[in-house]
Amino acid sequence: MAESAETTTRARRRFHFGVDRFSGIYIWGLIILIFALWVPETFLTTTTLRVLASDQAVTGMVAVGLVVPLACGVFDLSIGHVLGFTLVATTWMNVNTDINMAVVTLMMVAIGVAVGLANAAMVVKVGVNSFIATLAMSSILQAFILFVSNNRQIAGEFSDEFKSFGRNVVLGLPQPFFYLLGLTLIIWFVLEYTRSGRYAYATGGNPAAARLAGVRTDRFVTVSLIVSAAVAAFAGVVLAAKLGSASLTAGPPKLIPAYTAAFLGSTQIKRGRINAWGTLVAVYLLATGVKGLQLSGTEVWVDDLFNGVTLALAVGIAVYRRRGDSPGGLAP
Amino acid sequence: MTDPERVGAAVTVSGGESLLEVRGVSKAFGPTEALVDVDFDVRAGEIHALVGQNGSGKSTLVKILAGVYDPDEGSIAVEGSEFDPRRPGEARLRGLRFVHQDLGLVDSLDVVENLALGRGYDVRFPRRISWRHERHQARAALAELGYDLDVRSLVGSLRASERTGIAIARALDGWESAARLLVLDEPTASLPEAEVARLFDVVRTIRARGVGVIYVSHHLDEVLDLADRVTILRDGARVGTFAADDLDHDRMVELIVGRGSVMAGGEAETPGAPAEYEPSLVVEDLSGAVLRGVSLQVGAGEVVGVAGLTGSGREELGPALFGAAGRSGSVSVRGNPVPAGRPDLAVAAGLGFVPADRKSLGLVASMVVRENVTLADLRPYLRGGILRHRKERSDVDAWLGMLDVRPRNQTLGTMRLSGGNQQKVLLARWLRIQPRVLVLDEPTQGVDVGAKAEIHRRITDAAREGAGVLVCSTDSAELVRVCDRVLIMQRGGIGAELLGRDISEERIDRLCLS
Repeated sequence: MAESAETTTRARRRFHFGVDRFSGIYIWGLIILIFALWVPETFLTTTTLRVLASDQAVTGMVAVGLVVPLACGVFDLSIGHVLGFTLVATTWMNVNTDINMAVVTLMMVAIGVAVGLANAAMVVKVGVNSFIATLAMSSILQAFILFVSNNRQIAGEFSDEFKSFGRNVVLGLPQPFFYLLGLTLIIWFVLEYTRSGRYAYATGGNPAAARLAGVRTDRFVTVSLIVSAAVAAFAGVVLAAKLGSASLTAGPPKLIPAYTAAFLGSTQIKRGRINAWGTLVAVYLLATGVKGLQLSGTEVWVDDLFNGVTLALAVGIAVYRRRGDSPGGLAP
Repeated sequence: MTDPERVGAAVTVSGGESLLEVRGVSKAFGPTEALVDVDFDVRAGEIHALVGQNGSGKSTLVKILAGVYDPDEGSIAVEGSEFDPRRPGEARLRGLRFVHQDLGLVDSLDVVENLALGRGYDVRFPRRISWRHERHQARAALAELGYDLDVRSLVGSLRASERTGIAIARALDGWESAARLLVLDEPTASLPEAEVARLFDVVRTIRARGVGVIYVSHHLDEVLDLADRVTILRDGARVGTFAADDLDHDRMVELIVGRGSVMAGGEAETPGAPAEYEPSLVVEDLSGAVLRGVSLQVGAGEVVGVAGLTGSGREELGPALFGAAGRSGSVSVRGNPVPAGRPDLAVAAGLGFVPADRKSLGLVASMVVRENVTLADLRPYLRGGILRHRKERSDVDAWLGMLDVRPRNQTLGTMRLSGGNQQKVLLARWLRIQPRVLVLDEPTQGVDVGAKAEIHRRITDAAREGAGVLVCSTDSAELVRVCDRVLIMQRGGIGAELLGRDISEERIDRLCLS
């Protein structure tokens, strides 16, 4: 019986190789192909490429930052509002003070760290469920957004230097895309190639067992919540530089796409595990589909429908396939 | 022992007619005979205790009555007519009620809601639950058993005896049919001693109502105190049914353990005087939920066993030592103190711990075998802070080979392995870091024979290489096989100690029961 288990695993891996782990990339290719044939004159342009890369960089950063707490088994629902707050705060600083933008950026990241610490204090020290603690934090941050902005859109003229931070084009692609790429690389590396990464996944997989193996699970939860909030804070600064103004409603709606991408990403690259590259692929898969639909002139509601159906299908299929195996049997 | 049946009959409550009659029931699981031709009967208004060691067949019998297992042979009758427990709802309809060891309560619901689980609620128009009425009923049901509780409090916040009371009240609830026979499976296992007396009053109250009670317990004093008749099982067969008044403690131990199991000390190699060992683990005045001021030492190279009934503190000792459970007192490994509540520091001090519940406390289900093996220490695979997967892989492969884990596939999801192989993975995790002290809690629970032998070999080897090993186990044969010394836990403390040749299954079992 032992031998047969081994051979079936081998056979399965050989047979499904790629199709399983990289299905997202194939589907992405398929989506590109469909729209290339459907609306070639608008879809197959460098503008589309650039808009996609740029628009999704901010959402992508938030999503990849979210990978860290999800790997540790906790939710961070405050990231959308962290982004919303630093977006407003950055613009406010630009309009009302003449502090150097590098300093402002650091201040905003520090705010993110502080929010993460506050979340972690509630989750780890007090023992509040992360879902509830970070939901409360979202609401608190919403209050701050309204307080700082006085409930009015803030517009101002940024320095060119700062604008370039969000709008520069490098190698034909907007600069924020490279922030996202760098962030993905770092988070992937840490989760995959360091002791901390292994401990983070163990914490998320079974906190009690991880703790009894000598992992300081509380510390990993704390750091993960700080990372996601700090990354979201940075993404807010990038968005401010990109937009040049502060919309009060731009931040919070990034939350759901970020979760969609992270969960969809967990069916990719490292199956059954939340991971950075899978999330990145998912962000662009969804964005490409949505962009194509927009260019094809479909109704606005089709975008949300597309996102929702893709997530439900991808995760549904992954869970369904896994059910054939014994519970927990996820060979990466 | 001359004609126990007749003597038994003399003490039952007068007029108690036969409620349950089990005739010639047998049950085998593969080659293991769990029950062999067992007769058993319960009369109305009597407390009938069912006693025997682990594996004697008590729980198999209870599970057959509950319809969990199908008997291979034999018949069961309730109040004179045939009873097929496998038919859904039949047990309930015929008045059989069960209170299992874990009670089956939902901590986050209040008393009223817990009592309504299964039964449901009386509703008013339009399907509205009348909470006032429900509360009143709940209060009445509990008052009948002598409890006066705020029925709106959450069950999780109540004391252990109150929770047991609620489980019993729920079992006795008269929906579908009146309760005729109540089965209590180890009701005192998790009860502090002070609360046991209260439970006894409840059980006596139930008896006075004419209900028959089957009382399953390890605790012989309780049985002698409470029961009218006692049926003793040993190795799946009935030793006899006795009137409780005709038994005393020693006689019961003899009947439970049997004379047949007396064995020579086995291959216990050296009698090993404790002075030979240099102490690796020193525990002083350890107290916890059940533990009361336990002090012990384990020497380098020594294998010390811990035996004890469930509730004696045996199951708490490992987690408390390791700092996984709350505790007071001091623990040190080769002079390095291990603080409470910090398993990471325990690992750093050289303590390894294989918990009894490998699924929820041992293995990380979402990780593959390799990651589970190396979780306790990744330092050997780090170079410049970067994890070298290749080195990790070859190392893990060597360990899987050494412990004969099948399949020898480190990329497999850990939960796909059989229980024995899962346990080996967990053992590999700790053996790999060469702990100074290894604490194992039920190391071969739910493990096949081959894996068991391998695990025992590894325990002995680890000790030979200088580790101090503490094995907490309910399997006396296991303790005889691997231990140099066995400590017997009783009521939260160490009640007795066996050394070298003195260690035998029979002695361990006797001391556990006394």
